[in-house]
Amino acid sequence: MNFFIKKLLIVIPTLYIAWTVVFVTLNIIPGDPVNLMLGGRPASDEVRENVRKNLGLDKPVFERYTSFLINATKGDLGKSYLTRQPVTTMIKENMMPTIELSIGGLIFGVFFGVFFGIFAGTKPNSMRDTFSMIIALCGISLPSFWIGMMLIYIFGTTLGWVPIVGEGFVSLILPSITVGLFFAGGMARLTRSSLVDVLNQDYIRTARSKGISKYRIVLRHSLRNAMIPPVTLLGIQFGLLITGAVITEEVFARPGLGQLLLQAILAKDIPLVQALVVYMTAVYIFLNLIVDFTYGIIDPRIRLERNRG
Amino acid sequence: MVEILNVSNLSTAFQSDYGSKQALKNISFKINEGEVLALVGESGSGKTVTSLSIMGLLPNNAYIQEGNINLIDKKNNQVNILKLTDDKHNLIRGNDISMVFQEPMTCLNPTMTIGDQIVEVILNHKKISKTKAVKEMIDLLGLVEIPDPTQRAREYPHQLSGGMRQRVMISIALACTPKLIIADEPTSALDVTIQAQLLQLLMKLKNSIVSKTSILFITHDLGIVRELADRVIVMYHGEIVEEGQVKEVFDNPKHSYTRNLIQSLPEFKLEERKLNKKDDNKPTKVDDNEIILKIENLFKEFPVEKGFFKESNETVKAVQNISLNVKKNEVLGLVGESGSGKSTLGKSIIKLLQPSRGQIYFNNENISEYSNKQMIKIRQKMQMIFQDPFASLNPRKNILDTLIEPILVHNLMKKNEAINYIKEIINDVGLPIESLRRFPHEFSGGQRQRIGIARALVLKPEFIVADEPVSALDVSIQAQVLNLLEKLKKTYNLTMIFISHDLSVIEFFCDKVAVMYLGHIVEIAPVSKLFNSPKHSYTRALLSAVPKVKGKDKEKILIKGDIPSPINPPSGCVFRTRCPNPGIDCKGGNIEMGLIEVEPGHWVDKCCVNCN
Repeated sequence: MNFFIKKLLIVIPTLYIAWTVVFVTLNIIPGDPVNLMLGGRPASDEVRENVRKNLGLDKPVFERYTSFLINATKGDLGKSYLTRQPVTTMIKENMMPTIELSIGGLIFGVFFGVFFGIFAGTKPNSMRDTFSMIIALCGISLPSFWIGMMLIYIFGTTLGWVPIVGEGFVSLILPSITVGLFFAGGMARLTRSSLVDVLNQDYIRTARSKGISKYRIVLRHSLRNAMIPPVTLLGIQFGLLITGAVITEEVFARPGLGQLLLQAILAKDIPLVQALVVYMTAVYIFLNLIVDFTYGIIDPRIRLERNRG
Repeated sequence: MVEILNVSNLSTAFQSDYGSKQALKNISFKINEGEVLALVGESGSGKTVTSLSIMGLLPNNAYIQEGNINLIDKKNNQVNILKLTDDKHNLIRGNDISMVFQEPMTCLNPTMTIGDQIVEVILNHKKISKTKAVKEMIDLLGLVEIPDPTQRAREYPHQLSGGMRQRVMISIALACTPKLIIADEPTSALDVTIQAQLLQLLMKLKNSIVSKTSILFITHDLGIVRELADRVIVMYHGEIVEEGQVKEVFDNPKHSYTRNLIQSLPEFKLEERKLNKKDDNKPTKVDDNEIILKIENLFKEFPVEKGFFKESNETVKAVQNISLNVKKNEVLGLVGESGSGKSTLGKSIIKLLQPSRGQIYFNNENISEYSNKQMIKIRQKMQMIFQDPFASLNPRKNILDTLIEPILVHNLMKKNEAINYIKEIINDVGLPIESLRRFPHEFSGGQRQRIGIARALVLKPEFIVADEPVSALDVSIQAQVLNLLEKLKKTYNLTMIFISHDLSVIEFFCDKVAVMYLGHIVEIAPVSKLFNSPKHSYTRALLSAVPKVKGKDKEKILIKGDIPSPINPPSGCVFRTRCPNPGIDCKGGNIEMGLIEVEPGHWVDKCCVNCN
């Protein structure tokens, strides 16, 4: 388990670097958070000074930087400049919709990605291979705002099969497909190439020499061996989703972390951005751990290496 | 005699972008019940294509043009394999005909336990319960002499050595007691000692439980054919050129190709050379006084990669306390199983690896502590020939660029001078001048090794380390390259260290031999002494493990098990765990290793001298 502890410890330097980068960039880019808060309304210098003092912006940059770090280690990530709410509350409020969307996208993406990957990979350079890969290419390259709007137009307005707005499971279908298509495209391509590779291995020939049916060869002998690259991609893509799919959220007018982050950056709301960075880093590292753990389940050789280390 | 498989007029071809190429040209043969039929030939002769045609496992770009393959299956029906659908063929594969493949390292599924992989084939063909199949699987593992079968069944392929994996492959092939087992070079990737163990096992099984099963044994090794087979078929360029009883074919080969094949074996070459030597009035003289290379107490240890926090205190003890001298114009052979440290020693000597401890004197100059920069000058005098001629040539450079680079780096000549000089060398290694403009992939294996040799020669070195230079080549090509090396050795006045696992090659080419085991030299002697009166048990076992075409069958000295891990070698004499006749003292592991001179120039590890 040494291996996983090592992975967890990487959180500390990663967070530190991420915070510093966020802090520095948000201080360098032009624009005053107080002005942005006031939204262009006229205010006396006195009021401005007060706000500044309230937010702690009157202190020198270096002091703000260190006090943020110190508070953060105590677990206090501060309050949003914009809403004066604790940032953790704001994140919590927006987290659920994002997680729902991510899981929806994941299920759709993995299912269709792996399906088309196997469909294409078991018969490379055939018609069905070309067909599947064209679909996968579309999934990757078509912009999600376009896909989202087309889905709304076709299934929402014209056919009226699914509600466009609203809550609950049904309203999740179209956004899930939108994010999932991108997911599925990458998964399909990677599953295909990995499977083609595995099917040329010596042990597949051995399996065939035993007289095993081709379905069993794909499902029992090939798929597990072919899954390492797709699982890696899965981790990265799921990480992207769960930190917020801004465009999809925008198109379907859903709340979510993507929206929140966008607003926070535009308002130079440093505490909120910092807190979101904490959240994202934690998610990425957690996902990485899961991916690494899955490697061990898939391939016993990787398990062995870890037990040694 | 009952015929179980009849191949008639079989032609198989490969389709490629350049048109189709015939791999098998109208071949016909039959296999009788219970016989061992050997299929020999060099790479590209169509041996494997024949077996894959029978198995129905040809790659997608290959197809059968015509012919019939008739099998008498277990129910005594005659079936034409080529007319079967894939699903029907699956009923035969693994059941009536099974196969053992060449590469034990890659032939088993890395994500399934070996038990599951054996059970799978049993359940696929027999209608029995899972528990019964598991029981059969454990019995099979016992049958192929895998120790502790219940435990091993739960392990994955990577936890087993190559020899053990091949035993698992054999048990998969045996699982349904087939009519025919096709063994495609089953031992070629293994050490001779392990090969001897496996061949003995195969014959034992053949003579006991599967006596009615026939074996189609595909190999390039004529020695194995002689020891194992009843009948032999010789293939050349997709055709059968000779067929007959083994003894007949070997004693009285009819086809010129067969004769050549047998004659090009190093053991025959050796005899020829002995004959020639009588006429040759100026043999290579080894200068007894001039020592080119002297090694004292050389060690090379690699740290074992460990965790993030833990400092590793384990090391791979690859080379242990080695001292030796190489005289001018001498060829010293290094021989041993894989994992014995031969290559590491070779690389440490020319300092491609920095030795951990010990001294290396080259022309009386102590180079052991030289930095890479200081070595540049020395490297001009010491060069290396690598095993894999393809992987060791840069694929994006043409031959001229590859060969001219060292000359320009060392600033030995101007460019046009160098080109002329390279033309001479390329001529010396027996390649046409046009080759200079070509790229490595355009050459055959033998030609590439000639390029590798030319590359080592361009700097006119005095000393060359040749690391398995002919192992990747076919027998006839091997003979050509060895002859070339022999010739160049004289013209260029070379002193060499010649690393090989192939004892017959060593006997043919070297003056002196050092036998290595787990990083130690256990015996070192002039070639004739070592081969005629070996003193160390390991040397004896190695020598007896080699299948020989000539000579009577001697009782083999088999050594048990696999080479131990060099991370935790046995204490005392490292060979004691596998020694056929260990003494009481060395069993306890209290004896220190070290060479003593038993006869002038013949040094043996003292442990073994005491035991015998």
